Amino acid sequence: MSRKLSVILLAMLALVGAMSLKTVVVAHGNGSVIMANGGAPQPPVPWK
Amino acid sequence: MPGPLEYCIWLVCTLLEGAVVVCAVKSQSFRRYIFLNLYMGLSFLVSVSRYHVLNHYGMASNEYVYFYYYSDTLLTIGLYFALLNLYSLVFDEMQVEGYLRLGAVVLLGGTAWFSYAVVQQSSHRILTHFAYELSQNLYFVGLVLTYALWGAILKLRETRARLIQLVLALGVYFSAFAANYALQNLYFKAGVLRFVTPLLGCILPAAWAYCFLRVSEEDRLVPSRLAAVPR
Repeated sequence: MSRKLSVILLAMLALVGAMSLKTVVVAHGNGSVIMANGGAPQPPVPWK
Repeated sequence: MPGPLEYCIWLVCTLLEGAVVVCAVKSQSFRRYIFLNLYMGLSFLVSVSRYHVLNHYGMASNEYVYFYYYSDTLLTIGLYFALLNLYSLVFDEMQVEGYLRLGAVVLLGGTAWFSYAVVQQSSHRILTHFAYELSQNLYFVGLVLTYALWGAILKLRETRARLIQLVLALGVYFSAFAANYALQNLYFKAGVLRFVTPLLGCILPAAWAYCFLRVSEEDRLVPSRLAAVPR
């Protein structure tokens, strides 16, 4: 049981780390997006 | 509309994505690296479909825009599972499959919940915005997980050359996109950066195709020598 809780804790830590990193990056960015899939030309974001 | 150079880079990238699956089948590694190959196969199909939609409807059309962002979410989820495939291979001797699955589900569910919490009050096009937000958030989760896997490989003194190369290629890929994003923010008017982003998309399929073609499953890296301390 404690192992499962440790895994959940690690997953939550990874999530918090990733979202913190994203917040820092986006806060210092100019609004452009990170798209890391394939070589297709990127269209404008529809809701901005 | 994209220029000839952009079309050329896109074509090379698509061919490399197909080449990964072909090389994996040729080296009889398709099933062992099943999610990596499914991700590359999906990338190939999405590239072909995007080309079709772009040619049919045009760059500024709603069809291309929505198809691009929805397919990007699908691909990012595929990349997440490819990364988990690498995790299960690195930790296969520890018999922790169940824990890895639990962690993966919790992390994916947590990311989806976080993405929904961000978009639920900020947009009227909630589904599209959610897909976009989930893709962006999973990208950062993948980045963190890849660096954690690098650390685990170093700590466990992993010697399987193919596995190390696959993980390193993924790390370089994520790092290159992060560096490109930083450069875009610094010099957002530089026209050359327009070609860099799709060019970076070729890194991962090229490295993985080379790895499946040239590095055998039995290849091992020589562990670094221990320092001889005279007594």
